Amino acid sequence: MSRTIRLEVAAVPSAFAPIRLVLGGLGARLGLSVDELDDVFLATEALFRAAISEEKDMTRFRMELCADDGTLRSVAGPFVSATLRQRIAPAAPDVGCLDLCRVLHATCDDVRVEEAAGAYRVVLVKAPGDRA
Amino acid sequence: MTPYDDLPSDPLDLAALPDEEGPLDEEEEGPSLPKPDAQGRGRDESDKLDRYLLRRYHLYGDRKAREQLITMYLPLVRSLARRYASRGEHFDDLVQVGAIGLIKAIDRFDLDRGVELTTYATPNIVGEIKRYFRDKGWSVRVPRGLQELNIRLNKVIDELVPKLQRSPTIAELAEAANATPEEVLEALETSQAYNSVSLQAAPGGEDGDEDAGLIDYLGVEEEAYDITEDRTTLAPGFAKLDKRERYILHLRFFEGLTQSQIAERVGISQMHVSRLIRRSLEKLREEIGDVDNPDPSLLARPGE
Repeated sequence: MSRTIRLEVAAVPSAFAPIRLVLGGLGARLGLSVDELDDVFLATEALFRAAISEEKDMTRFRMELCADDGTLRSVAGPFVSATLRQRIAPAAPDVGCLDLCRVLHATCDDVRVEEAAGAYRVVLVKAPGDRA
Repeated sequence: MTPYDDLPSDPLDLAALPDEEGPLDEEEEGPSLPKPDAQGRGRDESDKLDRYLLRRYHLYGDRKAREQLITMYLPLVRSLARRYASRGEHFDDLVQVGAIGLIKAIDRFDLDRGVELTTYATPNIVGEIKRYFRDKGWSVRVPRGLQELNIRLNKVIDELVPKLQRSPTIAELAEAANATPEEVLEALETSQAYNSVSLQAAPGGEDGDEDAGLIDYLGVEEEAYDITEDRTTLAPGFAKLDKRERYILHLRFFEGLTQSQIAERVGISQMHVSRLIRRSLEKLREEIGDVDNPDPSLLARPGE
């Protein structure tokens, strides 16, 4: 049985708290460490704030969270902003710049942009590290 | 005659002071008076005056006597507040908070107990100031139980990391802290509400460490701090960060160290690293509008 949690919150910074709580619960169930969980929080919050900033007409922020395959998979969107997309996956990443791309890739195991019927969604994946 | 009539207009005028056992007599006080206090009164004289004013207040409800006691002991409040003045709070605020502790001490003073007011008031004043730091450190009201669990978790994480050689999971933390995973998550969440404002600030009220600032937990400055500036893009926002904050961001986002590894490297707790990273990113956001998308024209690199 698929265990996907769909969240929809107001597109305002203060609305990130419930997302954190759900991420925390799923991450704990998956066995993410405190460091890994904090990475997930940082990445998701950075994306959340960037989306609020760039998606001018967005009033609700949507996210799906899934922990089925042993990883924490967060899918945010749909988004339409080309600027946001450019910031998440720049054509020529600036390796020396602490930008959104850098924050996401430094904190997640995988960062992808998936097409979604004229829009796109952002997939962030975090897996528990080796506990050996 | 009112209860106020026998109160000297000058509270320091000992000659005018009546006494339950009769007027003060230097012979009865003994030939060598203790070291005088700031007002030039001997200790016994001060105690006598205190007790007189306390009696006036507690037995007769004399508010004027209470006010005089408060005025007399404000220098003590200031002296105690000065000890905490370098921790990021205004000195005047600390004096006000300490004064509340003094007033509580005066109001609760038990005339039947043979202690001096200073002995009783000092821990009350200090306690009030410490409580202020403890509560002020939390930007939103966090239940005391969660604050305590948060502080406990801080220690547990620091104990488990070297033991496990990795960052602990929530389940491991819960077991070690004798709490449920839900409680652990909630307590960790509260750490976001904690303001870590200054290197001089109290580190969260750990037992026995209340007089130590964060700066006491830091090692010597690493040479690597300077390397950070050579290898990381410098934006105007970065100038708002101190060297340690820049160094931590560099380690996390450019060197790929985990928070626990950074904590060990810098000599602070993992939870503090977490807060510093979040706060640094927030500072950058405030400084350049959006940290994740700085204006390219504002970016400058070393040598440019």
